[in-house]
Amino acid sequence: MNLNCRDYQHQITLFFYEELPEGIRPELEVHIRECSECKEAFDSERALHSVFAEDTTGWDVPSDLLVESRKALADELDRIEKKRSWWRMPAFSVVFTPMRLLESAALVAMGLALGVYVSNQQVVRLNSAVAANPASVESQSSTIPGNSTVSNLQIISADPATGQVELAGEVSQPLRFHGKMEDDLTRQLLFSALRDASNPGSRLKAVDLLSQKPTDESVEEALINALVFDDDAGVRMRALEGLRKFADEQHVQAAFVHALQNDNIAGIRIQAINALLDRNAKDPDLAQKLTEATKSDDNPYIRTKVLQFVGTSR
Amino acid sequence: MEAILKRTAQRVHDSEDEKLLIEQAQSGDREAFEQLVRRHDRDILRLAFHMLGNREEAREVFQETFLKAYRSLNRFRFESSFYTWIYRIATNVSLDHLRKRQTLKEEISYESYTESHPDRPALKDTLAATTYYSNPERRLYGKEVGEKIQDALKTLSEKERLVFELRHYQGLRLKMIGEIMGSTEETAKNYLFRATQKLRSYLTNV
Repeated sequence: MNLNCRDYQHQITLFFYEELPEGIRPELEVHIRECSECKEAFDSERALHSVFAEDTTGWDVPSDLLVESRKALADELDRIEKKRSWWRMPAFSVVFTPMRLLESAALVAMGLALGVYVSNQQVVRLNSAVAANPASVESQSSTIPGNSTVSNLQIISADPATGQVELAGEVSQPLRFHGKMEDDLTRQLLFSALRDASNPGSRLKAVDLLSQKPTDESVEEALINALVFDDDAGVRMRALEGLRKFADEQHVQAAFVHALQNDNIAGIRIQAINALLDRNAKDPDLAQKLTEATKSDDNPYIRTKVLQFVGTSR
Repeated sequence: MEAILKRTAQRVHDSEDEKLLIEQAQSGDREAFEQLVRRHDRDILRLAFHMLGNREEAREVFQETFLKAYRSLNRFRFESSFYTWIYRIATNVSLDHLRKRQTLKEEISYESYTESHPDRPALKDTLAATTYYSNPERRLYGKEVGEKIQDALKTLSEKERLVFELRHYQGLRLKMIGEIMGSTEETAKNYLFRATQKLRSYLTNV
């Protein structure tokens, strides 16, 4: 195959990206030695890569942006799923108010012995051996153990003429689990506990346990999420303590700076600044970030600590 | 040899694991979908951040990409890898944003972004690496280089920019880039060649 200079220059580009097909390199090397134009192109391409190499170190996505983006996506998915579940419900049984509950109870009395208790969170605890299977159109009471909890119960259809009702919801059973912290399943359950918005006590315990051995990235990420997004100040504080020994890692540092800038609890901001300064000595870039993050902080301790750090980092 | 076998076995395991996750997500398992997202979201955000050059739009592209994936996951037929599929969505969304920007004549430069968001640090400052730039002279030089590169990248067409981004910064092979673009490896090679020619020419002249 006869190649011209333009072909060789294509190959030069591929050479620098390690995409040159096998066996081509010797021929290319010979040509570059003999052709001044292609030699110039080769040198120019090498210079281009050197220039880019000067700029490669700072191209990582800020960790707080990743955390924010994940949170925004999760919120949007929640919204879509909520909308979808309402959309699927027939118009005559959409709202689960106490009145609707009475209506439902009347229907149930016609054909089924269903004893339900509906809490404010739309949680139904079965207190009868007879229940409707929420996942099925048919009544299969025997498949639901007596200690189960049915939640998100919805009335899909009701026919007063025949007494038939169709319900849908989720069944959950009590869980007792023994496992080691190193096990994936144990950690997955602890992550679930950490995400359980209704139970700050469990979240606190989960953070405590995960903090004891933040051995991998997923645990660190879970703790960062708790520090940045948990509504409970106690959970945020424990997450911060758990992450403290990693305050020199860039993504943990970003989470601490985020807390310093956004957390409304001064105690957490103080712990964040202490953790950052303990693990990062004389760092002009960090000094600049901290100055920016604390410029409107009303806590004198935090401002003084930052000023001292800026002074020593110069 | 043992290491190669181990890596190959790991890849097979990963791809089987991913197939299972996709199937679970297709049947409505939100947890499985979130696990799929976690496998790729860092790469997708980096792509969006590089292509768009600012946080807000990067976050929008991130969200749009995964929502599109969520809505159309049932149409995924395992004809390509999930990685290629999700990148294809992300690149299309990124290109749409770039086009919208052009249509609206809203050329958001890093400088103007900083001016309109004085409360945020400049992108180039955020990007500055702590270790390399701890030397002030190097920091200044690195900053100048970074600005020149940004200017040079603006001279590329959308496709050239995309291919350069995927190959140079994301490290994808040209074959995969061709697949992502719904085109061929040869086309990707041509775009990369044109991109580096333009960049060389621009950076030599400044």
